[in-house]
Amino acid sequence: MSNPVTIIMIEDDEGHARLIERNIRRSGVNNEIVPFTNGTAALNYLFGKDGTGLDHKGNALLILLDLNLPDTSGIDILKQVKDNKYLKTTPVVVLTTTDDSQEIKRCYELGCNVYITKPVNYESFANAIRQLGLFFSVIQVPPAAT
Amino acid sequence: MTADAQRRRAMGQILLLAAGLLVLIAISTASVLLVNKSRRDNGLVVHTVEVESQISNLLLEIRRAESATRAYMLSSAPQYLAEYQTAAAGILPAADQLISLSSDNPVQVANSTKLRKALDVRLAEFSRGIDRVKNNDVGTAVTVLRQGTSTDAVKVIAETTRDMRAEEDRLFKLRTATADRTQQLASIVTVAGSGLVIAFAGLSVFLVRVSSRARDAAESKLRDNNINLETTVDERTADLREANDEIQRFAYIVSHDLRSPLVNIMGFTSELEELRGDIFKRIASLARLQSAAAPAPDNATDTAEPALEGTDKQLSEDFTEALGFIKSSIGKMDRLISAILNLTREGRREFKPERIDTRELIENIVSTVAHQASEAQAQIRIEPLPDIVSDRLALEQIFSNLIDNALKYLKSGVPGDIQVRGRTKLGFAIFEITDNGRGIDPKDHQRIFDLFRRAGTQDKPGQGIGLAHVRALVRRLGGTMSVASELHQGSTFTVTLPINWNKSNRNREA
Repeated sequence: MSNPVTIIMIEDDEGHARLIERNIRRSGVNNEIVPFTNGTAALNYLFGKDGTGLDHKGNALLILLDLNLPDTSGIDILKQVKDNKYLKTTPVVVLTTTDDSQEIKRCYELGCNVYITKPVNYESFANAIRQLGLFFSVIQVPPAAT
Repeated sequence: MTADAQRRRAMGQILLLAAGLLVLIAISTASVLLVNKSRRDNGLVVHTVEVESQISNLLLEIRRAESATRAYMLSSAPQYLAEYQTAAAGILPAADQLISLSSDNPVQVANSTKLRKALDVRLAEFSRGIDRVKNNDVGTAVTVLRQGTSTDAVKVIAETTRDMRAEEDRLFKLRTATADRTQQLASIVTVAGSGLVIAFAGLSVFLVRVSSRARDAAESKLRDNNINLETTVDERTADLREANDEIQRFAYIVSHDLRSPLVNIMGFTSELEELRGDIFKRIASLARLQSAAAPAPDNATDTAEPALEGTDKQLSEDFTEALGFIKSSIGKMDRLISAILNLTREGRREFKPERIDTRELIENIVSTVAHQASEAQAQIRIEPLPDIVSDRLALEQIFSNLIDNALKYLKSGVPGDIQVRGRTKLGFAIFEITDNGRGIDPKDHQRIFDLFRRAGTQDKPGQGIGLAHVRALVRRLGGTMSVASELHQGSTFTVTLPINWNKSNRNREA
C-alpha cells in the first residue's frame, strides 16, 4: 500500500488478533495496525468524539472486522460504517468463524468488500491471512472523505 | 353439577312422568266406570218411569172398557160395543207388558200376578154384562152394574196398582239419588284428576326448566373449556416451537463459539511447532559447540535439519508426539463441531415436497457407490419400490447413508449382498434395506441412532452422525425408522414414510 493506510482490526479474541497480525506481517505488510477487542471502543475510534467520523477525514483506513463481538454485533458496525458519509468508501474485510450462507449474503448486501471464513486448520488460516496481506499490499484505498 | 345429582334429577323426572301417567290412567278408568254406572242408573230411572206410565196406561184401558161397557148397557148402541172390544183387547197386552217390564223386581212380580188375576175377573164381569145386553136382559145387567161398582176385583186392581206405584215411586227416589251420587262422584274424580295432572305438569315444567338451565350452564362451561383447551394447546405448541428454536440457536451459537478458541489452539500449536524447529535447531548447534567438534561456521544457512543425539533426540520426538496428539484431537473436535453445525442447518432447512421416482433415486445412489461396492465385492439389488411425494434431498441423504453403512460394515471375506425392498401400507411407504454384513448387537440398537455414538468393532472411520441424521430426517418427514439385526447375521433397516408428505404431516418445526 503506497499511502499510509491504517488497518483497524476489530477482533475480540486476542489470540486470533495475534495470529492475524503475525501472518499479515509475514506477508510483508508493515502498515500500522490498530487493534480493538470490542465494538464500542472501535466505534468510538472510528466515529470520533462527535460521532460523525469527521476525525478521519483524509485518512485512508481499512477495517478488518469479526462478526462475533461481546458487546455489539459486527453486522451493526458494518452497517454504521457503510452509512457514514466519510467512512463508506473504507474497505471492510469481514473475517469471522461464521460460514452460514445467510450471514455471508447479508454482509455483502450491507456493503462488505471481502468476506473470509477463518479456517480452523492453521495452515489454511495462515495461508488465507497471508494472501489477504498480499491483497492489502496491492489494493488502492481511498482517503476517508471525498 | 355432579353426575350423581344429574342421575337423581333424571330419575325424579321419570318418576314424575310415571306418576302423571298412572293418575291419568286411573282417572280415565274411573271416568269410564262412573259414566257406565251413571248410564245404568239413568236406565233404571227411565225404567221406573216406564213402569209407572205402563200402570197408568193399563188403568186407562180398564176405565175405557168399563165406561164403554156401561154405555153399551144403557144405550145398546153398537158403537160402544166396538169401543168396548178395542179397549178390552188392549188391556191384556198392556198388563203383559207391565209384567214383563217389572219382572226384575220380585215385589212387583207378586203384585203384577195379583193384578193379572183381578184383571181376568174384571174382564169376565165386563163380558158377562155385554152378553146380558145382547140377550136383551138389560135389567139384570144394570143391576149387575149397580152391584159391580164395588166388586172385589175392582178393589184389588185399585190396591194393587196403588202398591205398584208406591213401589215404583220408592224405586224412583232411590235410583235418582244413586244416579245423582254417581254423577257427583264422576265430576269429583274428573276435577281432582285434572288438578293432579295440572300439578304434575307444572312440576314437570319446573323441573325441565331447572335441568335446561343446568344444561345451558354446562354447555357454556364446556365451550369455555374447549376454548381454554385450544388456547392451552396453542400455547404449548408455541412453547415447544420456541424451545426447539432455542435449541437450534443454542447449538448454532455453541458450535460457533467453540470454534473460536479452537482456531487459537490450532494456530498457536502450529506456531509452537515452528518454534520447536527453531529450538531444536539451536539445541543441536549448541550441542555441537559443546562437543568441541569443528563447528560449522556456515550453520546460519539453516537448510538441513540439525542432527540430534541421545536425550535431545528423545526430547524432540516427545515434543512432536505431544503436538501430534493435540493437532489430531483438534481436528476431531473441529469435525464434530462441523457435524453439529450441519445438523442444525439441516434442521432449519425447509422441505420441498415433490413426486419422486424412488427406484431411480436409489439407482442413482447405487451408481455413486459402485466403486466401493465392487471393492467390497458386493451386489446391490433393487426391488420394485413405491413412488412417494417427499423432499428429494432428504430422501437422498436417508438412503445414501443407509446404503453407505450397509457397504461399510460388511463381513470381511464374505461377498456382500444388499437388498432394497419397498411396499405400501395404509398411506405409508415402507422401505427395507437389508444386508448380510456384520450385524448389530440388540443392546446397541438404540445407541446407534444417538449422535456421536457408534457400536461394534471400530475399524472404520466415522463420527457417529449418519444414523442420527437419518432418523432426524425421517422424523421430520413424518415417518419412523427401526432396525432388526443380530450380531453376525446382517441387518435390516426399515424406514416408514408417508406416501404424500405435506407440511401438515408434522409440527412445522419438528
